[in-house]
Amino acid sequence: MRQPDGTSTLLTTRVDAMLGWVRKNSLWPLPFGTACCAIEFMSVVSSHYDLSRFGAEVVRFSPRQSDLMIVAGTITDKMAPVVKRIYEQMAEPKYVISMGACACTGGFYRAYHVVQGVDEFVPVDVYVPGCPPTPEALMHGIIKLQEMIQNGETHNDRLKSARTDRAATSG
Amino acid sequence: MKHVSTVNVDRPRETIGERIYVVPILEGLAVTLRHFLRNLFGQRDVATIQYPEVKREYSERLRGRHILTTRDDGQLRCVACYMCETACPADCIHIVAEEDPEATVEWEKRPKVFEIDLLRCVFCGYCVDACPKEAIIMSREHEMAFATREEAVVGIGQLRQRGPIEDEDIGYRPYF
Amino acid sequence: MTVSSPHAPTEQLPLAELLPDGAVASFDRSKDGHTVVIVDRSHLLEVLRRFKDDPRLGCDLLADLCAVDYPDRESRFEVVYHLASLENGHRFRIRVPVEESDPVVPSAYGVWKAADWFEREAYDLMGIKFDGHPNLKRILTHEAFQGHPLRKDYDPGQRWLLTEAETMVPAWATETGKLDDHLESQVLNIGPSHPATHGTLRTVARLDGELIVKAECEIGYLHRCFEKMSETHGWNEVISYTDRLNYCSSHINGAGFALAVEKMLGIEAPPRAQAVHVILSELSRVMDHAVCLGAMLVDVGALTNFWYFFQPREEIYGLLESCAGGRLTVSYARIGGLAHDVPADFVERVRFLLGYIPKFIDDVEALITSNKIFRDRTEGVGMISAEEAVGWGWTGPCLRASGVAYDVRKEFPYHGYDQYDFDVPVATGGDTYARYLVRIEEMRQSLRIVRQALDNLPDGPVITDNHYVALPPKDKVFTEMESMIWHFKLIYDGIKVPPGDAYSAVEGGNGELGYYLVSDGGGKPYRVKVRPPCFAIYQAFPHMLEGHLVSDAIAIQSSLNIIAGELDR
Repeated sequence: MRQPDGTSTLLTTRVDAMLGWVRKNSLWPLPFGTACCAIEFMSVVSSHYDLSRFGAEVVRFSPRQSDLMIVAGTITDKMAPVVKRIYEQMAEPKYVISMGACACTGGFYRAYHVVQGVDEFVPVDVYVPGCPPTPEALMHGIIKLQEMIQNGETHNDRLKSARTDRAATSG
Repeated sequence: MKHVSTVNVDRPRETIGERIYVVPILEGLAVTLRHFLRNLFGQRDVATIQYPEVKREYSERLRGRHILTTRDDGQLRCVACYMCETACPADCIHIVAEEDPEATVEWEKRPKVFEIDLLRCVFCGYCVDACPKEAIIMSREHEMAFATREEAVVGIGQLRQRGPIEDEDIGYRPYF
Repeated sequence: MTVSSPHAPTEQLPLAELLPDGAVASFDRSKDGHTVVIVDRSHLLEVLRRFKDDPRLGCDLLADLCAVDYPDRESRFEVVYHLASLENGHRFRIRVPVEESDPVVPSAYGVWKAADWFEREAYDLMGIKFDGHPNLKRILTHEAFQGHPLRKDYDPGQRWLLTEAETMVPAWATETGKLDDHLESQVLNIGPSHPATHGTLRTVARLDGELIVKAECEIGYLHRCFEKMSETHGWNEVISYTDRLNYCSSHINGAGFALAVEKMLGIEAPPRAQAVHVILSELSRVMDHAVCLGAMLVDVGALTNFWYFFQPREEIYGLLESCAGGRLTVSYARIGGLAHDVPADFVERVRFLLGYIPKFIDDVEALITSNKIFRDRTEGVGMISAEEAVGWGWTGPCLRASGVAYDVRKEFPYHGYDQYDFDVPVATGGDTYARYLVRIEEMRQSLRIVRQALDNLPDGPVITDNHYVALPPKDKVFTEMESMIWHFKLIYDGIKVPPGDAYSAVEGGNGELGYYLVSDGGGKPYRVKVRPPCFAIYQAFPHMLEGHLVSDAIAIQSSLNIIAGELDR
């Protein structure tokens, strides 16, 4: 968060840090689960791995009520407009984790109906490889996203600072 | 169809106890209370693994990140025969071969470029099955997360074996 | 290799008399236990009706309907029907050659309702038109898709992008419907992104208050082109694709595919491999039913059981991971047997599981089975009678809940299932409650099979020693020249399966999972058609919904266990 003229004061960096801390510990995931990775995501929220220890227990399937979209599974060309619409319906700040080979790059489906990576139309913050990634791998990805939120390195932060820059230069 | 041994699982209409809701509710509460008290007082029964402080021990066959093995003299065992690239269903391995300057009868070629796109890879292990030289094996490292697609394309420098083979966290191998 | 069927052999049937004159071009007994009949399309409907109605043939189940593209032949396409008689145990394959200039075939919807979606798929992917089909539209690919992707001249990577504006809304849903009391009926769209749709399924329903008046389902949101991908990859590589079909019980898919290819090759996996296949398949079936019931109970509001069921799933994952290296997508089967032998602690781990899993099933039963809330929610909901279910092509636990005791493991045993003693659970209600009860009992029966297989686990190799098929052991490859050559030829050229076709079915988590394979003698399959059990089950769903409430629709859908990976492939 910066002042309109582009500088940041001590107060705003402290607020930044606090906001980052708050946001990273209360992620509300929207599991956009289409295929096998959704089953591994179910394992992550189950008792063995328990995502609620990270504050992310509230799994909401409504985009209006969540801030982290985990794209788990293959996205096909038929499903692509749906993903785009769901992403647009989320309120900022919003983050995207692309889980599994199919969501990251299309995986081994170099085919006529499969989107070769969900970043064709949605900006992705963290890519988690695996087919499917083990639950620890997904949690590692979520911890990495938490660090990125704390340090202000997510796509959402870049977008906001770009807006502030534009406001500073134009205003 | 021929006679098949069956078991009929139909349930009869509800008993009085079931119809007034109370008896099954009490039975159900007994089950959940048992789990609750066992988790509260017997911590050892709790199934949760406290990641990231505690990590679960995976088997020695886990298919994780690949390792390019080296010979005793530090050179890669890979002879760039392209079998792993052919066997890979995801076409995520990209090899460019070159002549080995220290060519002997057994090692004539070596890989100039050996890249694996870890975001395409489906971790099926077919490359390990296909390699005739035990040059590519898989480790148990499965926690990888990337911020961009480019940093997931790893080359020889990141894939090669780092120290003695006993120190590596070996997973899937050609034979056990 | 002929498959010994426990029924009266089909050779004894006087087929030439039973079918109309001039209808049959030729027939022969194939190596997979099917009698093959080639029929001219002008007589097709009559032949199909005879197959269904004549009591000596009695083919009440249309198992599969697909099309194959042979560009080198005079008649480019061939539509293939697989019929099964549940009463007599006969299986038939009917092949109908179709010209490219006039790719029209009469629709079999009037004979078996099961032909509904299968014909739509053949139209979508191959371009065959079915005359008389009530709703011949694309089913798996999207509205803006052009071309027919499974044709041999279609580039596998050619994509067509779909913009928001083109997403499908059925015509009847856009008109405003007036009801009797001058109120309007509402159209509700359930899915494809919905917590209770178990993946990517979409139902469009016209509602009168809360009552569903008309419904239509749309699928294909997870069409990952499995069949085209298997044409571009070698036989063993297809096994890694089969894992992603029914991903809740992935070992069964791979074992079924390997079995089908082994039938075409005329070999059998060694006894130890077959026993391990049985153990892992049954444990996968337990996993599949656990996730189905867990998700179904979450949908009707009972969340606790989800957590209870996932604990044994994690333990089974640990076992699969110690055998194969992967938890969910195992890729453990290979053509000819298994990839490697099981680890040393396999027997103790399975014995531990046999004691561990029943406790959780008992807990869930104590909570749910006699619970009046659950019974009120599920009894009488989504009822389907036995004849209707068979007419729609249902198999598996959903069919057994309607009273038909058809189980592929008993009727057409494979992997040594005839040596094991187990019962087939049957219920007569045909409603959601019956499907729940059947699945709970099937989990217990699966554990019974695992106990017997474990007690009699034979020793020996786990893969065939025929090196035209299986990779030689690695210690030989590293040292001997001959083994190195076998290894090279198998990796570069692939397994050379003799030309021909075969259909082989296994009992998947949802029912009869069939593979129809066509080979042209090369190292890659010519055509792989998967007969997904939940495809046949889900096509009856829009018709089952009429007259139910919206909340019943959710309960019914989750009791059918529709796995999108298998449905859309």
